[in-house]
Amino acid sequence: MLSILKQSNSGSSPSVALPRGLDFIQVLSDIAGMGGGAGLQEARAMHVGRPLSERRTDMYSFCNPGEFQSSPFLSTRGNIANLFRGSTEEGYKAYHADKYDEDKNPNGIINFGTSENKLCFDLMSKRLTQSDMNLMEPPLLQYPDWKGHMFLREEVARFLTYYCKAPAPLKAENVIVLNGCGSLFSALATVLCDPGEAVLIATPFYGGITQSLFLYGNVKLVYAYLDSKITGTSTRPFQLTVDKLEKALQDARSESVGVKALILLNPQNPLGDIYSLSELRDYLEFAKRHELHVIVDEIYMLSVFDESATFHSVLGMDRLPDPQRTHVMWGISKDFAVSGIRFGTLYTENQDVANAVASLCYFHGVCGPVQHKVAQLLRDRDWINQVYLRANHARLKAAHTYVTDELKTLGVPFLNRNAGFFVWIDFRKYLRTGTFEEEMLLWRRFLDNKVLLSCGKAFECSEPGWFRIIFADKTHRLQLGVWHFLPFYITQSCLQLWPPHSLLKLPSIPGLLCFS
Amino acid sequence: MLSILKQSNSGSSPSVALPRGLDFIQVLSDIAGMGGGAGLQEARAMHVGRPLSERRTDMYSFCNPGEFQSSPFLSTRGNIANLFRGSTEEGYKAYHADKYDEDKNPNGIINFGTSENKLCFDLMSKRSKLNQSLLCVFLSLREEVARFLTYYCKAPAPLKAENVIVLNGCGSLFSALATVLCDPGEAVLIATPFYGGITQSLFLYGNVKLVYAYLDSKITGTSTRPFQLTVDKLEKALQDARSESVGVKALILLNPQNPLGDIYSLSELRDYLEFAKRHELHVIVDEIYMLSVFDESATFHSVLGMDRLPDPQRTHVMWGISKDFAVSGIRFGTLYTENQDVANAVASLCYFHGVCGPVQHKVAQLLRDRDWINQVYLRANHARLKAAHTYVTDELKTLGVPFLNRNAGFFVWIDFRKYLRTGTFEEEMLLWRRFLDNKVLLSCGKAFECSEPGWFRIIFADKTHRLQLGVWHFLPFYITQSCLQLWPPHSLLKLPSIPGLLCFS
Repeated sequence: MLSILKQSNSGSSPSVALPRGLDFIQVLSDIAGMGGGAGLQEARAMHVGRPLSERRTDMYSFCNPGEFQSSPFLSTRGNIANLFRGSTEEGYKAYHADKYDEDKNPNGIINFGTSENKLCFDLMSKRLTQSDMNLMEPPLLQYPDWKGHMFLREEVARFLTYYCKAPAPLKAENVIVLNGCGSLFSALATVLCDPGEAVLIATPFYGGITQSLFLYGNVKLVYAYLDSKITGTSTRPFQLTVDKLEKALQDARSESVGVKALILLNPQNPLGDIYSLSELRDYLEFAKRHELHVIVDEIYMLSVFDESATFHSVLGMDRLPDPQRTHVMWGISKDFAVSGIRFGTLYTENQDVANAVASLCYFHGVCGPVQHKVAQLLRDRDWINQVYLRANHARLKAAHTYVTDELKTLGVPFLNRNAGFFVWIDFRKYLRTGTFEEEMLLWRRFLDNKVLLSCGKAFECSEPGWFRIIFADKTHRLQLGVWHFLPFYITQSCLQLWPPHSLLKLPSIPGLLCFS
Repeated sequence: MLSILKQSNSGSSPSVALPRGLDFIQVLSDIAGMGGGAGLQEARAMHVGRPLSERRTDMYSFCNPGEFQSSPFLSTRGNIANLFRGSTEEGYKAYHADKYDEDKNPNGIINFGTSENKLCFDLMSKRSKLNQSLLCVFLSLREEVARFLTYYCKAPAPLKAENVIVLNGCGSLFSALATVLCDPGEAVLIATPFYGGITQSLFLYGNVKLVYAYLDSKITGTSTRPFQLTVDKLEKALQDARSESVGVKALILLNPQNPLGDIYSLSELRDYLEFAKRHELHVIVDEIYMLSVFDESATFHSVLGMDRLPDPQRTHVMWGISKDFAVSGIRFGTLYTENQDVANAVASLCYFHGVCGPVQHKVAQLLRDRDWINQVYLRANHARLKAAHTYVTDELKTLGVPFLNRNAGFFVWIDFRKYLRTGTFEEEMLLWRRFLDNKVLLSCGKAFECSEPGWFRIIFADKTHRLQLGVWHFLPFYITQSCLQLWPPHSLLKLPSIPGLLCFS
């Protein structure tokens, strides 16, 4: 991820990724010229102060530095948009060029990088092709209210009231629908922040948010770094505490960065954490003290696959500390396994925010017939509870168990959580010197061995060596992907790897390979 | 439309609309602070130099000045977004609160304001019900679009799928193009009058402004028709902008033109493109009405049908299904450009403008079926559009109301100037409100940045009974020939049938 946009508040490891061939000062000053943010002097100071080794590390980030050429046809921000496109796609380009298919391409790459639920296509396709989904009426084919058709907003309000366990019925007038939560981040960033202002977020976090805030919004992130050490008030690795938020905010303010909002992801991506009710309250009270908006992304709220865990939605709280500054987003991409449909929703009591977002929703429209389908989907409580969630949770749990059992057997540490599609894995002991450079090399080795994972740098993790693996996939692909890990663990040396596919000749090793 | 964003290059009639209660200098300087554009000094000069009467006129523009309150919860640009939402919706709010329905609300408002084709729902709904497959065939949509455009634009060589981008509408495409071609505060050149939604599309995310080449109805010198776009007007507008240090990066052409209904000839197109090339401007050609040329006597020329483009790396063509296929609710638009830098940068932003998989599939199916499009859809659609156009224009002729008689689009550009006593935008607004009070929603020229008060756009692509009812509501204006002496609403219904004035069959 191109973290050139980060407002660093940790002196120790800034992570500004640079395209080779493009003058660092120039790019930063161009960005600065776009509306505030880092001044030219600060840019020079950052460049001069950082050790050469760290700067070289950044060259190995995702942005394909060797390939970037500034285009004379584009504006500065147009060139940055192009840079993003290049930077995030090395792995996915490789994957799409060599996709695993059990019949057509058995030696292809297994994708454990994209957070999608591939376990429920059968259920969803059956539901989405039922006859109640097909409605063709003139209003659906004409220009809609950009907040969304009322019938859908009412359905969303009812849906959220039920699944978030809201103490009082939620109101359709507080609902906005649009084509995805990425768009919603973009719109919220734009209406809450002016260019160059910032939003606070804890790391590690889903890296796509960086682009979502920046590409149109020109809004940057301020990080509250979490790490795996359990010290003081924390009881689990990467635990978010209010003092970390306070520190990050103070650091930002001391550098005159205008922080306008806090983003919370609950369930958390990539950790899989679910915040307790008291933690949520603490974070919201923190935000209220500082008059920060809170954007709560609950996109995995129905993907809590272990019944022992209890998810608390912010909308289920008896009383919000600052209802006018609390904005909740959800979408169907994850919980209903249909990321291609492009549907997200905002719930907020703040009509100023709702109306301003609605203006931008002209650019994020959901087509009429799809609005109808989504309303139908959300309305069918029985199907959701008795058929879909029941099966989905069982499948997610089985897949999670499969992968985590393998990891345990191999002696690889990981965070054992109950939500989402991912496991946050600790490969630190397999890095000789514990640098992001080595993390990148390990990432590439996995890719060479036909497994696409996401490395911690993509989530702005401050500690090298953490990886995210998506387990929400069919067993045969899980099996194959996990096989491809084995060379790393057996040799216990990060760069001494068996040649690809030699693994297939290994005899079955009990405890190491579980195929059934 | 909130024209606060316009870079004025015509000294005579600037049209900066101001919300009452918000300090003009402050708003402009806020906008200026957002990334270039009008400086504080320029803002003061504009404010001071303009006659008081003109400033007061602007108060009557669409932005509901009395209602605007700056919200402490929002950023400056968030407040502006809110202002836009308020400003464009007075008419549409009224309409949605009191929508005409022949059974449920026979006294409701007829909408002649929104440019939609309401004549073909039967054809489209029947067609859309086929092929309900969920399967998403992504590659083939861009190939289908390339084949479709090759055929309908009469491209000299097959267009390439790699030059095609699809996204959720042409508004999104304007936003993305503005962002990748211009930096904040830079500008794009466009001739007025033009479809006013483009202003928001460039500004809300892109913070890009418009520079106007004003066209007017006078036929002088090189022009042969009212509101004719000529290169010297473009040259002048560009020079004026540059003399004020405004960075103009692109030119927008709408062809067929909205609201005029003009179709540019091949030589005119070439002239405009050569002009752009001379000045290294990108050209964004919006051909969204290209299949809505309903009179066979007219010939539409797509830029993609030209043998050779003067500057292919700076020529970007947009099209969508909202108008030509009468399905504005589906949200689908496409960009064709040979410039891969532009295409890739736009593709980055398309993350925010996604078209869902099943819809991509449906659109591919729609575009692929050449026979249905030609034999069933276009044939019927053009006939219906032509009949509706004839109905409305015959009425206007009978009533002695001048208008531009054109062959494309869903609209007629009507000349109500003689019904304004003093020919000001204030009166135009009053006339607009009178129409609304009489249950007819039209669009007034100010919404298109027209420099002459008194022009209105009427959408005729609607069912006959609504056309009839809407046109009835005009009568009081014409009969009395005095703009503000109007008969009370609905008294019209008691009028005897007047041959020649009312045509019901």
